[in-house]
Amino acid sequence: MAAATGIHHTTYGADLALRHTRAEHARLALMLVALVALPFLVSPYWLTIVNQIGIAVIGAIGLNILVGFTGQISLGQGGFLAVGAYTSGLLAARSGFPFPLDMAAAVLVTAVIGTLFGLPALRLKGLYLAIATLASQQIILWVVTHWDAVTGGTSALVVPPAVLLGWQINGDMSWYWVIAALATLATLAATNLMRTGMGRAFVAIRDHDVAAEVIGVDPFRYKMLAFFVASAFVGLAGALTARYNLIVTWERFTFDVSILYLAMIIVGGLGSISGAIYGAAFMIAVPAWIEDLSRNLSGLAFLQPDMPAIQQLIFGATIVLFLVFEPRGLARVWQRVQEYFRLWPFR
Amino acid sequence: MSSKWIRTTAAAAAIVLAGSITACGSDDTSSGGSGSDQTVKVGGIFDLSGATADVGTPYADGIKGFVKDYDRQGDGPKIELTSEDYKYDVAVAERLYSRLKSDGVVAIQGWGTGDTEALRVKITADRLPFMSASYAETLTKPSDTPFNFVVATSYSDQMRIALKWIDEQSSGAQVASFHHDSPFGESPQKAGAQTAKQLHLGFQSYAMPAEATDYVPQLRRAQSQGAKFVVIQNVATPAAQLAKNIAEQKLDMKVVCLNWCGDELFVDLAGKAAAGTVGVMPWAPASVKADGLAQPRTYLSKSGGSLDKQGLHYVQGWYTMALMAEGIKRAAGKGKVTGESIKQALEQMDAFDTGGVSAPVDFTATSHAGMKGSKLYVVKDGKWSALTKLENAS
Repeated sequence: MAAATGIHHTTYGADLALRHTRAEHARLALMLVALVALPFLVSPYWLTIVNQIGIAVIGAIGLNILVGFTGQISLGQGGFLAVGAYTSGLLAARSGFPFPLDMAAAVLVTAVIGTLFGLPALRLKGLYLAIATLASQQIILWVVTHWDAVTGGTSALVVPPAVLLGWQINGDMSWYWVIAALATLATLAATNLMRTGMGRAFVAIRDHDVAAEVIGVDPFRYKMLAFFVASAFVGLAGALTARYNLIVTWERFTFDVSILYLAMIIVGGLGSISGAIYGAAFMIAVPAWIEDLSRNLSGLAFLQPDMPAIQQLIFGATIVLFLVFEPRGLARVWQRVQEYFRLWPFR
Repeated sequence: MSSKWIRTTAAAAAIVLAGSITACGSDDTSSGGSGSDQTVKVGGIFDLSGATADVGTPYADGIKGFVKDYDRQGDGPKIELTSEDYKYDVAVAERLYSRLKSDGVVAIQGWGTGDTEALRVKITADRLPFMSASYAETLTKPSDTPFNFVVATSYSDQMRIALKWIDEQSSGAQVASFHHDSPFGESPQKAGAQTAKQLHLGFQSYAMPAEATDYVPQLRRAQSQGAKFVVIQNVATPAAQLAKNIAEQKLDMKVVCLNWCGDELFVDLAGKAAAGTVGVMPWAPASVKADGLAQPRTYLSKSGGSLDKQGLHYVQGWYTMALMAEGIKRAAGKGKVTGESIKQALEQMDAFDTGGVSAPVDFTATSHAGMKGSKLYVVKDGKWSALTKLENAS
């Protein structure tokens, strides 16, 4: 992000800080207030949407680390979400693992499985890697639906409510605090990760893997690490999906979900943590908002039979327009708005 | 970026925000009142634009049509149906469920296996009776899923009826069970294998991959098995392709459709290959004679539609809603209409007669399997005709 004019760092601590100006600190404070106030301001329905967005934010950040920062395209997101969801769900339902240990296990298992399916990335790039990761989506779902003894096959897996230190996390309001806390932690972790040597190695591999190797970045190690870290985030999102919905069904993790997540990070902004947040919010909230709008258009009765198609048309057109006018996504739009107002009204 | 673009973006963001705030404020949390003059809110989660919209749309139309006709007649509490399109996306169904709950609905009409399974825990916790077009046997036990009501003959019972009929035609025959590669398709396979064993029939399951454009490889395997009968648990489009493949390959195999393959769309798509196909169909197609078809037919002709065009799935939606409305009406007769009182009314009322459109629908406190039997139909002269009377699964 462009630094404000006239900011001079005199200590290493100041140089490493995530925020430098008073305006940035004020915005952070505002964001925190908004996060705390949000569940009390929105309807129960919109709170469900906010929770879905929170979970998607974690998954989208994971995918953006892999695709946006490291340049390793993945079509296996739905499968990795399923690994997280089933690991957490099975441990909680069958083995009585206490919350949040089941989620920690899900993060670890998904990270390991994600790394295994990332092995083709050592030889493959671009579309070839996309097809290899597509295979991971198919293989994981096939295993989930056919490994009856463990996953229960195609039957739904009912997950008991999560209990944390005697507090039963039930309902959207309770889950909001858990999801918001985890999404915030995920955002902070990913933002800081990208400032470390590992994060810079990811970006180096994305920009030119041969050049990265020449300057001493080990592609094998860092590509595997990218799959490991990204899958860990995705595993957390999957585990949250299972615990929040109290049921796991394989139809929640189809190929469409992989595409939806790719759309989130493309619309939000590839290679941007905030972009993953904007993208997740956009892809989930906008269809719901269009539905609301069409509900309020009940006067136009003649349009009602075609309303589902019209809703999809508007949503599709909105995405296309965004990408045409700002291919670098919502994160870049927000950055430009900030730049504009920084000098306003002297522009 | 020009300042004009920023202003446009800011204006668009403001409109989005305003719309969201309006939407947030518009939720009504009232629930059903008491007495016959009350209005009862019922929710609908339908597929109008997703993968199964071809059959989901007439089903949803049937439910909406019944509610309009019922409200016009004024025989019972008024039903206010709030329905949304979930695009056959489970995540959207979860979100819409939250909206319907906020709207204060007391019962929900759902659609497919995905949404029905995904919501079963929530509807149990919120005590909201739920009917859908997913007839999985796993949803029929009130001890596990007390608020799910499986209106029609379960897929497993449909399979049992199909195998009984096959056994009557050709004792000891080999049966190839072609099915959608999903929980919906897998659902009756276990019951099929067990029943076939009891009846000394050969039985082999074949998954139909969703992306396949023809099923010749699977048919070759069925031919090696010596299959003379092909039972299909899939929707009309792939089922019609399979029937065409059988005809093209000149295979001596009789097609037996279960519920989602046996409809007018299958006959249209399969064309000549559909001739002689037998259907285990819990709901009567529009082409046969049944007293119960008169009501939706009259309603549609008055509102400029046609039952022949809308087909069997319209009737299916119509009577699923009719059953729920009967439960609501009886619950209203006893006092306040709640999810719990509708559940009790449905469990306590006598078998619901659909005028020959289906087997009588009867729920009890220990079984939410509505129908125990089904009629069989056969494709003759390009349309479904009655083949047998009501056949029971057991």
